[in-house]
Amino acid sequence: MGFVKGIFNAAADPRLFFLLAVISLAILVWKREQVASNSFGYGVLGCLAIFFAFGSFDANFRLIVTKPDNVPIVGLIFMLVFFVWYSLREGVLNDRRIVKGEGPIEKAESDRVWVWPDLVYIELIALIVCSVVLIVWSIVLKAPLEQPANPANTPNPSKAPWYFLGLQEMLVYFDPWLAGVVLPTLIVVGLICIPYIDTNPKGNGYYTFTERKAEITIFLFGFAVLWASLIVLGTFLRGPNWNFFGPFEFWDVHKLEALTNVNLSEYIWVRALGRGLPQAWYVRELFGILLVLFYVGALPALLGKSLFKGYYEKMGAARYYVGVFLFLMMMSLPIKMLCRWLFNLKYVVAIGEFFFNI
Amino acid sequence: MAEKKGVGHAYNIDFLNVVFAASSLFLFLSVVWMVWDDFDREWKNTQRTFAELQYQVTEAQYQQASRAIDRNKLQQLQGQLQTAQRTITTNRQKVDELQANLDDASVRLDRVTQQSQFAKATYDQDRYEFEAARVAGAAGAERMGQRIAEQVRQLNDLNLQVEKVTAERAGIQRELDQYVGQAAAIQKQIDDVGAEAGRIQKQLDVLAPSALKDYFRNAPLLDFMAPTLKIQQVILPNVVDDVNFIRVPKIDRCRTCHLAIDSKDPVYEKYPQPFKPHPNLSVYLGADSPHPIDRIGCTVCHEGMGQSVSFRDAAHMPATEQQKEEWEAQYGWEEPHLWDYPMLPTKMTEASCVKCHKQQVYVPNAANLSLAYATFERAGCYACHKTRRFDTDIRRPGPILTKIDAKLSQDWVKTWIRNPRAVKQTTWMPRFWYNSNNSSPEDAVRNEVEINAIVAYLFANSERFEPTVRNPPRGDAKVGEQIVKSVGCQGCHVVGEGERTAVGPRRTFGQPLQNIGNKTTYAWLYDWVRDPKHYSPDTYMPDLRLTDAQVADVATYLSTLKGPAGDAAKATPDQKDVDGILIDYLYRGGLPFEDATASAAKMSAEEKQVEVGRRAILRYGCFSCHEIKGYDKAQSIGTDLTEEGSKLVTRLDFAFISDIPHTSKIAWFRAKLHDPRIFDKGRVLPPLDKLRMPDFNFSDEEVERLVMAIMSFQREVQPAAALLAQSARYDDRQAGRTLVHRRNCVGCHVIEDVGGDFLKLVADPSLGPPSLTPEGARVKPDWLYAFLREPITIRPWLDVRMPTFGLDDAELNGVINYFGSISNTIGPFQTHEIVRVANSEATGRRLFETFQCQKCHVLGAIPRDQETANLAPDLRMASDRLNPEWIVEWLKNPLVILPGTRMPGFWPADLYPKSPYPEFGGSADAQMRAIRDYLLTFRGGPSPRRSAGGSAAAAN
Repeated sequence: MGFVKGIFNAAADPRLFFLLAVISLAILVWKREQVASNSFGYGVLGCLAIFFAFGSFDANFRLIVTKPDNVPIVGLIFMLVFFVWYSLREGVLNDRRIVKGEGPIEKAESDRVWVWPDLVYIELIALIVCSVVLIVWSIVLKAPLEQPANPANTPNPSKAPWYFLGLQEMLVYFDPWLAGVVLPTLIVVGLICIPYIDTNPKGNGYYTFTERKAEITIFLFGFAVLWASLIVLGTFLRGPNWNFFGPFEFWDVHKLEALTNVNLSEYIWVRALGRGLPQAWYVRELFGILLVLFYVGALPALLGKSLFKGYYEKMGAARYYVGVFLFLMMMSLPIKMLCRWLFNLKYVVAIGEFFFNI
Repeated sequence: MAEKKGVGHAYNIDFLNVVFAASSLFLFLSVVWMVWDDFDREWKNTQRTFAELQYQVTEAQYQQASRAIDRNKLQQLQGQLQTAQRTITTNRQKVDELQANLDDASVRLDRVTQQSQFAKATYDQDRYEFEAARVAGAAGAERMGQRIAEQVRQLNDLNLQVEKVTAERAGIQRELDQYVGQAAAIQKQIDDVGAEAGRIQKQLDVLAPSALKDYFRNAPLLDFMAPTLKIQQVILPNVVDDVNFIRVPKIDRCRTCHLAIDSKDPVYEKYPQPFKPHPNLSVYLGADSPHPIDRIGCTVCHEGMGQSVSFRDAAHMPATEQQKEEWEAQYGWEEPHLWDYPMLPTKMTEASCVKCHKQQVYVPNAANLSLAYATFERAGCYACHKTRRFDTDIRRPGPILTKIDAKLSQDWVKTWIRNPRAVKQTTWMPRFWYNSNNSSPEDAVRNEVEINAIVAYLFANSERFEPTVRNPPRGDAKVGEQIVKSVGCQGCHVVGEGERTAVGPRRTFGQPLQNIGNKTTYAWLYDWVRDPKHYSPDTYMPDLRLTDAQVADVATYLSTLKGPAGDAAKATPDQKDVDGILIDYLYRGGLPFEDATASAAKMSAEEKQVEVGRRAILRYGCFSCHEIKGYDKAQSIGTDLTEEGSKLVTRLDFAFISDIPHTSKIAWFRAKLHDPRIFDKGRVLPPLDKLRMPDFNFSDEEVERLVMAIMSFQREVQPAAALLAQSARYDDRQAGRTLVHRRNCVGCHVIEDVGGDFLKLVADPSLGPPSLTPEGARVKPDWLYAFLREPITIRPWLDVRMPTFGLDDAELNGVINYFGSISNTIGPFQTHEIVRVANSEATGRRLFETFQCQKCHVLGAIPRDQETANLAPDLRMASDRLNPEWIVEWLKNPLVILPGTRMPGFWPADLYPKSPYPEFGGSADAQMRAIRDYLLTFRGGPSPRRSAGGSAAAAN
């Protein structure tokens, strides 16, 4: 039993956790024909249920999972898995019909429904059911009054509301101005931009995968891996001092992690060139600044001429540049994570003189 | 997917109807649940239980009262009533007529009264308008004035009518009473017979269950109007809660469940908790106590969350493991972790006294707290841990080590510090080595190196000491033992084996005398007993005024006290070990490793020892308790405890200790005190990073006392309005109280109901040191001053004697002011008015002989044939020693002033101010004054003043 828990604890390490999330996404996309089967979907949900049932025998697991703040995240896990699987399944079923030349099932049905009674009725029912859920939730999950807030004694760990835990996880890898200001702004702006960038009418009003492979994969990567799974990680696996704890591990405030991270400038000047760091920040950070400028300024153009040539031609320059910029911004998070894990990279650009770090 | 029903229907409407119905039902049920969940509160059930109990108890009282009614009398009265009613019946016509007239008059009175009220109101309004108009000079003012005058006339008429009709009605009533008055009077008598039962009946009516009260007024959603079950709270503007950003008045809702907490009615004492009243209402919560509930509340003393009305969230704390289990089962109790200050265990509540009594160290009536502080002082906690209120006017807890060479041998000191309790079971000296974090075989070498080194340092830094008498004579050990056991040494010193907890901190004020024969030389003992200040000028050890022969006897006796040899060394370190440890100390002290090695290499073997010793003493803080040369500027090494009781539990490091709740400060303190090194358990630490607090082997009881002391060290939060008013008299009290505790006066004397531990060693309290609570009223301040400087023998038949403490004038005046203040006397200068009535002294003498005062009191000679316990002081001292007013008070009621005294009260309290004796017309006061006047004529008793400034020879 301890061995099994040990495996889960190890698998929940942020590096492995992230890797597993990416691999799962890849398998999901690659083996979608098999994934689309009912037995797979219900099997996965069943396994999850068994995992939670198994875990609930462990005191540490129970403590974290049954905390009133965390209970909704347990629901989130099940719902996320179900809806991702369900949309994929519907897409795969439609893809089969399209191959056979039948067209998506949604198109086979009439595209008109009555507002009254159908739409209004189900909206009313949804409203009632939501009310019931909220009322029962507020009765069952207690929110007791705690001790007075004390500026000298902040809670440890100090956690953001659950929907911001993905952002909080980014703080591990980025400076607050990036993780807290720039990237969230880009997320909102990017989501607003999507309809203007992606003008492809395929998939409108029906499920499909093959017709929108890249778009769906990118979306799932951004939403399921970078956002939702980081919320799960932040809720269940980050304990005191924002240290990582396996799901069956006791949250010991004394736990220490070796955190000796190095800036890019030190890699280049000290390790590669074998000399001290230059005094002037602009010389010291030259390589980092160039790298960032390259990533933001030159890489989109280069990609447009090579890997993403097809998109460039299809979308036109304006849409392409905006889209690829947003894409690169999204990818900066996993890239930075990888650099941190593989090279202990702290900052690409670290200008402590005026608190500017990338 | 879904079945299609014609164009446009995406869903099966019949099915949706079912879903809609079901979800609506669920919504309804969840709303009902929500209302019920909000309505159903723990405290309401508690109040219901209380109401039921009240009803049952009142009903029982009613039945008892009904049974107590005198049936015969009732029957007799009812007979009389019938007769009286027959009178009414015979005059029925007349009575009816009068009654009709009376009713008529009443109606007219009502009418006229109302008219008069209306007229008065109209007049008042018009008068104001007239006044305003006249001042403004308005045109119509004059006309208004006329109207006012008219209104006044009408009003006067009406008032006259009211008076007339009132008189008329009274007349009719009188006439009617001739016929019905008797019956009414008898009816009233009947009511009086059952008055008690009637009163209870009314209470019962209020308490009786009723549909309106129990269901309607307390029903869900209706209970906002006038519920009978409601939260009971006190708001305390002078006592605050600190919520970090602001201090807010405390709101205590404890009474919501503790409904009878401030009730003096003894009936509640039989109620179950939470309905019992406070056990000490005369001091706490009572309206006339110093801490009334509406000014002090509950949680400022008990802690916990006063605003909560749920058992768990109020942060109740169980006293025992068993109670904890009960609470878990009954109330779903869990370790409070949502409130920083959970309730103190009941035994520790006195820790909160200091929040408001913060200027003083010792709080009156707080015996547990006094014991806690005595333990804290005796263990010497304040020496390493700086603590407010324990940083001035307090001695170093350990003896001086600056002249150690003259007193001890090196080997003995090594054995001693290796494990002090193996040598003297009762000692407060803690163990620094071979504790839970340094007992392994690898640690033994280091331990022995440090022990040897510290001893080397101490002896290398010892001054020369020359005893006053060289080659002192030997005495008789038997006589010496007798002296030690009788003169009062045992007030501060333990001789035999004994548990420290059992003898208590006051009787271990001085070092225990166990094993002292092995410890030191006869010459040193002789010198010390003869004059302790010769060896240690600042010692608190007083002079017992022994003759040199007695000193020799005592010293001989002490040198025969021998005990176990103690623990032997557990390792034999060599020079390499010493070098290694010296380099470790130097390196960790900040020297680079090369320099550390180099400077170690330069030292001789002996220098190395001394250097390690010097650093080890600094590390373990030996200098905090003992005076040691070379540490004048060293800082105390422990955590500051001044606000330790307010420390948040998150600031305490529980390390790998997981068998105590990590939400409880008290659990942490307990664990720490039981084993000060416990939080090193399981950790990998270099020797110099290990915890270093020594192990005192505290018993459970001592740990509880010390935890209580720590919990009393609180952040100062309460505002000035909550504190005791300051005054010079208050300062006297606090300074004096501190002194009598810190000098261990309370080891022998009972003062303000505290102390007197020595009395346990004597057969009868009257054979021990007297209670000093009334001392300020009893003796004259100047006599007390002289006495404290040079005590005289007041009761020669006692062996125990008052030592000479050698207090300075500031301390002496402090003590005298303190006694004056607690007896509420005026001050040192007083007029004693002695009213000399004719024959006063002669009558006094006669009474004196009647009462046979001389049978017990000494008057020059000690009365014979009298039990020793009955003997009383020489009355010839009275004029010199006693306050004349006090003599009268004393004669009036000795048992009130000194409970347990053998002095009889000659004037029964129930007769006072009359007296059973005929003198002075049977006036008790005059008789007492006469006796006093007679007593004051005596001269020639012993007096401390005669010897003041002289030699100590008169002492015995």
